[in-house]
Amino acid sequence: MRLLFVLPLLLLGVVAQAAQPISIGVLSHRGDEATLSHWSATADYLTEQLPDYRFSINPLDFEEVDTAVGDGAVDFILVNPAIYVNLEVNYRVSRIATMKNRWGDKAYNTFGGVIFARAERYDLNSLADLKSGTLMAVNESSLGGYMMALREFKAAGIEPYRELRDISFAGTHDRVVMAVRKGLVDAGTVRTDILERMADEGRINLNEFRIINQQTGEDFPLVRSTRLYPEWPFSKVRHTPNTLARQVSIALAEMPENHPAALRGNYAGWTIPLDYQPVHDLLQELLLPPYQYSQQFTLLDVWQRYWAWLFSGLILLFIMGGLTTWVLRLNRELSHAKQRLEQRHALILDSVADGIYGVDTDGNSTFVNRAMEGITGWSAAELIGKNQHQLLHHTRADGSPHPGEECPVYHTFRDNVPRYVDDDIFWCKDGHSIPVEYSSTPIRDENGEINGAVVVFRDITERKKSAEEARQHQMEMAHVARLSTMGEMASGIAHELNQPLSAISNYTHGSIRMLKSGQEGIREQLIEVMERVASQAERAGEIIRQLRRFIRKEEPDRKWVDINQLINELVTFLQPELRKAGVSLRLELQEALPQLWAHDIQLEQVLLNLTRNAIEAMQDVPLSRRKLLIRSSLLAGKVEILVEDTGHGIDEKVRETIFEPFITTKEQGMGLGLSISRGIIEAHGGRLLLDTPAGDGTRLRISLPLDKGEEGA
Amino acid sequence: MPDSTVFIIDDDEAVRDSLSWLMKSAGLHAQTFDSADGFLDGYEDERPGCLILDIRMPGMNGLELQSELKRRDFRLPIIIISGHADVPMAVRALKAGAFDFIEKPFNDELLLDLVRRALEQDRKQREDMAETDACRARIDSLTPREREVLDLVVEGASNKQISAELGVSLKTVEAHRAKVMDKLQAESLSHLVRMAVSVIER
Repeated sequence: MRLLFVLPLLLLGVVAQAAQPISIGVLSHRGDEATLSHWSATADYLTEQLPDYRFSINPLDFEEVDTAVGDGAVDFILVNPAIYVNLEVNYRVSRIATMKNRWGDKAYNTFGGVIFARAERYDLNSLADLKSGTLMAVNESSLGGYMMALREFKAAGIEPYRELRDISFAGTHDRVVMAVRKGLVDAGTVRTDILERMADEGRINLNEFRIINQQTGEDFPLVRSTRLYPEWPFSKVRHTPNTLARQVSIALAEMPENHPAALRGNYAGWTIPLDYQPVHDLLQELLLPPYQYSQQFTLLDVWQRYWAWLFSGLILLFIMGGLTTWVLRLNRELSHAKQRLEQRHALILDSVADGIYGVDTDGNSTFVNRAMEGITGWSAAELIGKNQHQLLHHTRADGSPHPGEECPVYHTFRDNVPRYVDDDIFWCKDGHSIPVEYSSTPIRDENGEINGAVVVFRDITERKKSAEEARQHQMEMAHVARLSTMGEMASGIAHELNQPLSAISNYTHGSIRMLKSGQEGIREQLIEVMERVASQAERAGEIIRQLRRFIRKEEPDRKWVDINQLINELVTFLQPELRKAGVSLRLELQEALPQLWAHDIQLEQVLLNLTRNAIEAMQDVPLSRRKLLIRSSLLAGKVEILVEDTGHGIDEKVRETIFEPFITTKEQGMGLGLSISRGIIEAHGGRLLLDTPAGDGTRLRISLPLDKGEEGA
Repeated sequence: MPDSTVFIIDDDEAVRDSLSWLMKSAGLHAQTFDSADGFLDGYEDERPGCLILDIRMPGMNGLELQSELKRRDFRLPIIIISGHADVPMAVRALKAGAFDFIEKPFNDELLLDLVRRALEQDRKQREDMAETDACRARIDSLTPREREVLDLVVEGASNKQISAELGVSLKTVEAHRAKVMDKLQAESLSHLVRMAVSVIER
């Protein structure tokens, strides 16, 4: 018999050198050797039927099946229906035939499970009798040797895992039978036909066992305890071509019941694939793969199946709990820190003597410090959220309304440019105003967007007072300087007064003499002379008027001054000095100069001081060269006045210091003249500079702005 | 003194004009100048009169004009008008030969009196000058010997001393003396000496 097989195999081996190898994976539930010995003949049958292929058997443990199918290591798979259902779901295998089992001379294509105990266990009749007993099964994945029994337990309302004392697994059917026989367990479960086959082989006697929950009917010849299920399916795996699968299916279907391969494999040929729904139902009820996630989970199921996840989850929850606690504590610490920071912030703000407040972009106050409350009299509650401009800034110092759109604080957060205002007023709660200087700085939020401004301000009442005192002092000093100048100029002015007085005296005495002489026809001459007398009297009066104006304390207010008129008036004082020093004066006055907003007497004092210096500077140069020039002009929007002499000029070393007080090049004099002069010009917003003329001599340049400039001095 | 002129130099027109009016009211003829230079340009030496001069003027001042006139040998009497502060200058002018000074404001009578006296001086000065010139001409007409005799007479020598000095006879000396007296039209010895001195001193 063996020869019969070997020869064609050898032949085939030669012929099928190019034949494609086809691997059939078979569940090796009774050991690899048994599997090969059972199924190699079937492979050979297929190779014989399909000579283009060389079929071989690949025995697989329960654990190896998934990997072999998943990796595509096998082309066909022959496993129990439960595994098949899983493979069908997970790997899309499809059955092409269902095996027919053989018992005696009968073939049948269903099978079931049998639950049995030793025959003398009279106490064990129903499944319920097994409560608290021990059960041995083949394998957790074994359909006939475990799952089928399990389903029956559940159907009987018994929860085997909980209610049985122990469930153990022997690995093979034979060992389960032997273990029950030896009394190692109360009961065992195997697939149908195992007991009969073992009895047939003479290894056991069926009388040694009693069948629990025995089922009858359905023309099934073997003892059983469970429902029946379709036999093992022969399946193709996904990658196997359909043509090959069809060829194999046909070859299997055509195998005669008594074919040697069938006999060898202990089956009775193949039939068309059966419906495996009962297996699906079973797996579904038992919540087994692929139905392990079905709805009917109990908490215990969940725990049993997912304890690792649940445990991890719990740990995670614990960690999260820990984290939450940590975050909460951190949050509490942060809020403490924030509170401390705010307290410190408030402490700093409140310890500053300057008023500080914040403004949002609507112009409303956002915070104020204590100094601000003290200075303005408004409380924080009255200020915060209110429009700061309308409270503090509504009216200007001159009494005119101050519109919000002109407020420098608003401008700050509009154009993002910090501002400093050194002279403004804020209105206090009690309705009086205080002079202030303030800075306004834009503030940005964390995104860099401007969200308002911070204003820092200071009450400058004291500063204003001392500035006023300084101004007063400067005015007094200027006045003293004028008196002193007049003292120095007294004889010159007296001479200047003497001129018209002498003329008047001469005219009148001459007239008297004429009248006394009784000459005829002198009337016309006398009238003319009297007119001259009157004009000389006016001339004298003008000099006195000028003098009085010059030496009085000036009025604090400025007025519009015609600078050319001022220069002409100055010449009155200057004339005697010019005559005495033999200096010729040239005036170059630009006509129609705009008027200046100024203290006229102070400006005249400056000009007098500069011109007298100039005259004095020329006392050592020859008569013909003593020339004084006074020029007025409009230059780049400023009125410029030049006083230029033809003296020896100012020594290079002294140039830098001549505007400082008590520096003088004269033998007499305090050296205050230029210092006071510069002070006066700067108080008018102008400049007094020492310039270098083309030739010898000295040129001083005054430039004065046309606008009203600073009103301060 | 109808042919005399009062020259008024002052840079102040009103003062100038009023002085001119004052002179006119006193019957004096006046001419005004606004500066020393103007005067120097317009004046000829022959014109008699006097000067009223403001000591302080731009350009050439009173003192400078005074010295310029002296340099040119013009002898017009100068009346200085000064302000109070210019007294030291006026004193310097006086020392340099000014006729007088008057301080502003002044009394009209005082000024007119000064002017009249100055004009009188000028007139006298001019007369003296004329006489001296005549004397000089006469002295110049003497012979050298007669001149020697005159010089010795003026020194106060007696005829005897002269004869001894010159080595001539007494009679010859007397004849020369008579000739000198005659040529110089001397009325007496003292007159002769005065005439001689006035010429020699110059």
